[in-house]
Amino acid sequence: MIPIRDDNPQVAIPYVTYTIIGLNILAWTLVQGFGDEAALRASVCNYGLIPGDLFGSGLDQKACAPEGSLIGLFSSMFMHGGWAHIIGNLWFLWIFGDNVEDAMGSLRFSFFYILSGLFAAAAQIMSDPDSMIPMIGASGAIGGVMGAYIVLYPRVKVHLLVFIMVFRVPAFAMLAYWIGVQVLGGISSIGVTGGGTAFWAHVGGFAAGAILVLVFKDEELLLNHPYHGWKQQSDPADIWSDPSNRQ
Amino acid sequence: MRAMYMSDTASVIEIIGDHDEDDGEAAEAEFHDEGIEGQFVLVDGETVLGISGYREVDGCDGTYYLSWTYLDQEMRGNGLGKRMLNDVISRLKDIDARKLFVKVSDYQEDGENIYAAALGLYKSVGFIQEVVSEDFYDEGESQTILGLELKPQSQDIELADEKPVIRFNGLFEIAETEGAYTFEWIVEKSAGLFGKRSFSTEDLEIGINSIREQGGRKIFLTFPSNLVLIHRPLQAAGFKYVGQLKDYYEEGLHELHFSHDLEHFEAMN
Repeated sequence: MIPIRDDNPQVAIPYVTYTIIGLNILAWTLVQGFGDEAALRASVCNYGLIPGDLFGSGLDQKACAPEGSLIGLFSSMFMHGGWAHIIGNLWFLWIFGDNVEDAMGSLRFSFFYILSGLFAAAAQIMSDPDSMIPMIGASGAIGGVMGAYIVLYPRVKVHLLVFIMVFRVPAFAMLAYWIGVQVLGGISSIGVTGGGTAFWAHVGGFAAGAILVLVFKDEELLLNHPYHGWKQQSDPADIWSDPSNRQ
Repeated sequence: MRAMYMSDTASVIEIIGDHDEDDGEAAEAEFHDEGIEGQFVLVDGETVLGISGYREVDGCDGTYYLSWTYLDQEMRGNGLGKRMLNDVISRLKDIDARKLFVKVSDYQEDGENIYAAALGLYKSVGFIQEVVSEDFYDEGESQTILGLELKPQSQDIELADEKPVIRFNGLFEIAETEGAYTFEWIVEKSAGLFGKRSFSTEDLEIGINSIREQGGRKIFLTFPSNLVLIHRPLQAAGFKYVGQLKDYYEEGLHELHFSHDLEHFEAMN
């Protein structure tokens, strides 16, 4: 199930979304050597987030060099574990990021994105504070973007590629399905050791984004946007049906 | 009726000017600038008794505006006006025209609407009132636009929404009005990823403040009905919806009319 595009026009140029995508690609090329094994391993250890390192609880069994674990809170958001990982993450950001940035303005969106990533990391750490498995990826922060999207544009149609068919489904249905999968994945991962998908980071990021957007959204900017909210009619011209908006 | 010749111009302008001097001057300028194609005169022998005709609207599919339609003052009340109109409508149908519009003022002279008879005449041949722009020509003088379907229009055409990049590139006072302005706008090609955005509330406010500084009284804007990005900025900037000319551009694609009353809004920052 891959979102191809949304029926949600971009009003302003999403500078920060483009910049974040660019930074992730730069990190993948310059720091992670396009996934070269040695560079990838070093980058994951040096710039990934290791909960056990962060709290010193796992120093005796450190999997990586301990330095940089605080930096890892931020740098881990720009590291990825493979081509599919980075392409998948950045594709979701490309689809949903522009409209969330539209609703906040670029500067506020940059803070929102980082904060969502931090909350996502916090959620993953809480699920296993002693873990020595490095956590990497933009997906926690992008989960925040998706959480904001479901609050801002629940009725916008998203074009989903399912096998060879394309379906148009409301954003709330698609994103509710996505977060449901993450929650189930998180529950099934409880007690499981070893690497894999950081489901709780996705859940934490999504929840943080859905809440933070209430503070970060700019009502003035949303006025420029034809589709937002639950009450918004499918036809933007319907705003003129209000007698106060008529001559 | 026969096609108008350039040699008819003086007689035609005299007939129009007898009724409204300003219209006479405007008609003379229009004949000079746009020619006399699609203009017809009602004659009795060599004497011109009336004028009517049409002008095609650029960029539309078979859409026309009725042009200067006047009858010699002494010939009124004999059904000749209706005959002229029906003749023009018949000619338009012959060339497969789709819709005809006409603009009428409600100008009062000595407490009497001097275009009331014309309005009644248009309605009598089937025109339907579509948009009334209050205070259009001047304070208290509205513009009514009536439309006539020349061939049946489908009722259930649904055109796809479009989101072009629309930018304003000028403003001017609308001809024949006192203090009514409009913005010129263009559709820009989006320059890929970093393309320009369509106009925002802030862009509208720049134009509104500029017109206010020039002493403008009111702003009128029109847009096609399938542009989804225009509504929220217009509403947020204080524009009101006036109405729509149905099937103006093509079947199912209407022209939406908006107005902004500068005298009833505080200056925007």
